[in-house]
Amino acid sequence: MSSALARLHPALVWRWNRTRTVLALLALLLPVMLVLALASGPVSVPTVQIVQSLLHAISVSEIHGQQDWIVRELRLPRALLAMLVGAGLAVAGAITQGVFRNPLADPGLIGVSSGAALAAVAVIVLQGSLLAGYAELTGVFALPLAAFAGGLIVTWLIYRLGTRQGQTQMAMLLLAGVAINVIAGALTGILTYMADDEQLRSMTFWSMGSLAYGQWSEIAVLALCIALPLLALPRFAALLNALLMGEAVASHLGFAVQRGKRWLIIAAAMMVGAGVAVAGMIGFIGLVVPHLLRLLMGPDHKALLPGCALLGASLLLLADTIARTWLAPADLPVGLVMAVIGGPVFLSLLLQQARRVMA
Amino acid sequence: MIKVQELSLFSRDKILVNNISFELQSGERLAVLGANGAGKSSLLKTLASERSPDQGNLLLDGELLAGYPARLRAKRIAVLPQQVELAFPFKVQQVVAMGRIPHGDEHHSETLQREAMQLMDVWHLRQRSYPSLSGGEQQRVQLARVLLQIWQPPQDENGRILSRLLLLDECTSALDPAHQHAVMQQVKQFADDHVAVMAVLHDIALAASWADRVLLLKQGKVWAQGDVNLLTEAALLQQVYDLPAHLAQRYAEQNGAWLRAG
Repeated sequence: MSSALARLHPALVWRWNRTRTVLALLALLLPVMLVLALASGPVSVPTVQIVQSLLHAISVSEIHGQQDWIVRELRLPRALLAMLVGAGLAVAGAITQGVFRNPLADPGLIGVSSGAALAAVAVIVLQGSLLAGYAELTGVFALPLAAFAGGLIVTWLIYRLGTRQGQTQMAMLLLAGVAINVIAGALTGILTYMADDEQLRSMTFWSMGSLAYGQWSEIAVLALCIALPLLALPRFAALLNALLMGEAVASHLGFAVQRGKRWLIIAAAMMVGAGVAVAGMIGFIGLVVPHLLRLLMGPDHKALLPGCALLGASLLLLADTIARTWLAPADLPVGLVMAVIGGPVFLSLLLQQARRVMA
Repeated sequence: MIKVQELSLFSRDKILVNNISFELQSGERLAVLGANGAGKSSLLKTLASERSPDQGNLLLDGELLAGYPARLRAKRIAVLPQQVELAFPFKVQQVVAMGRIPHGDEHHSETLQREAMQLMDVWHLRQRSYPSLSGGEQQRVQLARVLLQIWQPPQDENGRILSRLLLLDECTSALDPAHQHAVMQQVKQFADDHVAVMAVLHDIALAASWADRVLLLKQGKVWAQGDVNLLTEAALLQQVYDLPAHLAQRYAEQNGAWLRAG
């Protein structure tokens, strides 16, 4: 069959390899996770109603009845938020690991997220005083923009600290990350003492990460900050692949390495910053998702980046559904759920690398 | 095809390369030799456009290399570094295919990829994961990638065929003697198709058996350059490497034997 097609034209043979199978399964997994997330909660909603509500939401029609309202106004914003943040963090993780040439370089572990969180908290606490001018100037973008800047500064700092002549030292990277996490954590702590009660309430979720405060207005801003880099990234897949062999090799292959790397770091910081601004610190997505996918489909970024977006979205949806329903009516911070899943994965990765260094 | 004019390179507090000039034609094999710190690698990095000249010029067919578009440069100049560290589990075939990135046909050049892998004797490894290979196998895979990058001569917009340059930076240091000679032999065969090759080499005997011209550097300066027969002159080796006389004599005799054999 396929050879007959190949005789007609080689491009007609759709090579059904493993990478494509994984991508197809991931594309199927995401809607399943979405329906599951929309269905579960204190009031369970039948699947038919969910599909109807989604169609209503797309056609922007009036809300019909209580279940429609629950799905569209309570659960859908939160689910969209989970998908966007999850996709952004997973892809940002893959990019950071590519730029640092190290599978352990998770934005959370190396301090990018806490840098972003510190900047966001500073805006919340100081927007009435020191940063009043900034808050007025930037409006709805005040938080995401600050978080983006915070993430960018930390990424740059870590890059300067952990990289010598284009080679990233694993130990230096992680230790610098520990130090930056401590510093950012302490400064955030100091800011909490300056905050009033209302500011404190809106800050508490930052340290643990939660999707409970998703609003339509925030989702729009977030979608912009995550969709833009996601759409631009396919152009950088070949550069990321080449960068894994070192900056010199990438430049020999004709890439403008410094410029490309700068764009990649900005894209990662933008996605992490936007995610942190609306959902606080959710760690390990950027570590677990790319790691799992490299095992399943190999490290080629052409497939890895879209795969990370799909699986990151699915995984955070699942984790958030667990966070909402496990100890209901309590709403666990999803960051804790992710840490429980991600911590062991990080340890096993660390062991793997240590073994390679010993061998 | 490539012309180095009065090139000098400086680091913060010392002169790495001091006023070097030479020329390399298509089909020529030039070995760059010298003691550690003589400026060999700095010279090669400049030709590879990893760093820019502090003084002097590099001309590629009469055009300044510095102003040359990076993508087109990559179709004409390929570089094999001393070692390529790659911790991510790419398959051998994927690594080799990256040599086609400048041409934009990584996924549509299977025939060329197979030819390059067969030349470097890594075709049977194509489905293996790169990090699981031995150092020697990895280096052969890298050479296949680098050769694939300049496998065919590119053409300019008028259909004129452009020359190609291969730069090798102590690329055989991870290989055993059998593979050292096999690899350099294959490079020779590849270069016979009008490719200029410049190889920085540590092993004088390997240079004698492979090169047709040599460039001997000492403390950043050209001490001597010319035909490979220079390597049989004991006095010259003694000066370039600061060798004791009896050792230089032995190396010179050994090189003579290699030259007669080659």
